[in-house]
Amino acid sequence: MTSTSQAGDPDTKSVRVAVSLAAIPRSRGWFRSQTSRRLGFGYALLAPAALYVTLLVAVPFLFSLYLAVSDASVGEQMAGFVGLENFKAALEMDTFWIALRNSVVFFVAAAILKSILGTSLAFLLLQNFRGKKIVRALVVIPFTLPVAISVLGWKWMYDSQFSVFNWVLSRMGLIGAYGTDAWPVWLGDPRLALIACVLVNVWRTFPFSAIVLLAGFTSVPNEVLDAAKVDGCTFMQRFHHVVVPMIFPILMVGFLFDTVFTLSDLSVVYILTQGGPGNATQILPVLAYQIGIQAGNLGRGAAIALFLVPLLAPAMFVFLRNLKRREY
Amino acid sequence: MSTSALARPRTVRQKETRRYLLIYAAVTPFVLIAVFPIYWMAITAFKQDPDLYRMDNIPFWFNMAPTLKHFHTLFYQTNYGSWIVNTMTISVWVALITLLTAVPAGYALARLRLPGAENTGIGIFMSYLVPPIILFLPLSRVVAALGLQDSWWALVVVYPTFTIPFGTWLMMGFFKTVPMEMEEAARVDGCGFLGAFLRVVLPVSVPGVLTAVIFAFTLSMQDFLYGLAFVAPGDQKPVPVGVPTELIRGDVYYWGSLMGAALLVGLPVAILYNFFLDRFIQGITGGVGK
Repeated sequence: MTSTSQAGDPDTKSVRVAVSLAAIPRSRGWFRSQTSRRLGFGYALLAPAALYVTLLVAVPFLFSLYLAVSDASVGEQMAGFVGLENFKAALEMDTFWIALRNSVVFFVAAAILKSILGTSLAFLLLQNFRGKKIVRALVVIPFTLPVAISVLGWKWMYDSQFSVFNWVLSRMGLIGAYGTDAWPVWLGDPRLALIACVLVNVWRTFPFSAIVLLAGFTSVPNEVLDAAKVDGCTFMQRFHHVVVPMIFPILMVGFLFDTVFTLSDLSVVYILTQGGPGNATQILPVLAYQIGIQAGNLGRGAAIALFLVPLLAPAMFVFLRNLKRREY
Repeated sequence: MSTSALARPRTVRQKETRRYLLIYAAVTPFVLIAVFPIYWMAITAFKQDPDLYRMDNIPFWFNMAPTLKHFHTLFYQTNYGSWIVNTMTISVWVALITLLTAVPAGYALARLRLPGAENTGIGIFMSYLVPPIILFLPLSRVVAALGLQDSWWALVVVYPTFTIPFGTWLMMGFFKTVPMEMEEAARVDGCGFLGAFLRVVLPVSVPGVLTAVIFAFTLSMQDFLYGLAFVAPGDQKPVPVGVPTELIRGDVYYWGSLMGAALLVGLPVAILYNFFLDRFIQGITGGVGK
């Protein structure tokens, strides 16, 4: 109470002065002081958030560039400059190339699956039917459940012996008995492990694709569609020339978010397989963690993590351009 | 004439029924895919061990009486209790920091006509898109320099790196929807800038502020990497990190306790998040304030 009224006081006074001098037109000085006061107040409000983001996101990001050209390790305080040594060393690692390939395969396969599932679900949720709200609330649970927690559930469903999938498949007579080659060991078989990880990512994120698409579809005003209809557009023409261009920005943003979170997520693979068996599910984020923290080689780890930047950059660029375009 | 008049409503209704049946038939697989893993986790948490590890029964329901034994194990033989306390304390601190920084910043960027406000806003939001996997190694040095390694305080410092950008962006959109006249009226009535913000704008913005707090809370729970990298002692971890790293020992899996531990915290978070999901989507697609 007191602090607010005190802070309000000087201002009250200035207004009163201005009123008492009402005969004289408000001088430029008064106006300028109002402006500078507003700006001062604005920057004061902005400062804490801006400082936090600068100190703990921007500076660390630059610091990671520095780490990547140094021989920093967890144990030592001092680090020397080693140039592009870390990047070179990464490129010479077989594991790095496996991780890069897996990251790309993981991302592309997951993107295809989730866009198919997401689009069909979005079209279904566009319909009107009883119980739609409940259906929607149930369908988005995979996205809202904390990652580490739902992945644990999947780890249990992929259990080598008591997998519920295998129970169903074996009752249907599709797979052989436990212990034979015809019994799939989801996380232990190099041919299946990456697919198993991709499925978890798809399960987790297809509701997000659907909801983003749905937000896009519902943002198209009916009048626009009606106008197109009056002008003699067929359904496909309306879809192609009206709906798609209008929802494109939203689609891109959704795509960007998914790209960032799918490519940089380590929890699914780390909890399910830790990159194994062999290196069958090794991806860049897991490799960066293993080398940077577990092996203590900060420089090398940072270099590997930075290889994600070129993969992320196109998405960021598109996002920024869209935001800018929308202002006008 | 009379037959067609009778038949017509029936065919319309039949059409309608068929439409509904088709929709439900199409929706059911999606619901099953989405919900089954959670159902499976839940039923696992209450099954007795012999019931879990028998393949000759139908596993989708209880073949033996349900039990609370797994939860008993969780609370009396593991650090689960302290993980819950850690998670709650971390989230409250993070929500508080977000509240005190993101709400004023959002207001300043949306309402005070600062030069370059729009770009600053986008800049802050872009930092939300710098993934933790790029920041965790440099931040580990920051955490060590602050002397916070191996304590959950490290996470209180680090989580705002994603809650502040998101919160600021969200509040920016929200404050744009508050009518400008309200502040002008307050200013004419003799309020200062701070007074107008605290006494006039904030009280009508409670729903927006609440949303930002809820997100600070739920986004904190979504983290795994920072907790994994910065907090090693068993009793300092938050739930999403403690459960997968501490409850799995070697090759021995206590699936009942694991699933119970995961859902007991995960499900309330998921439900809370569910209510605010539309705001989240609006927030990231830039649709707020439109």
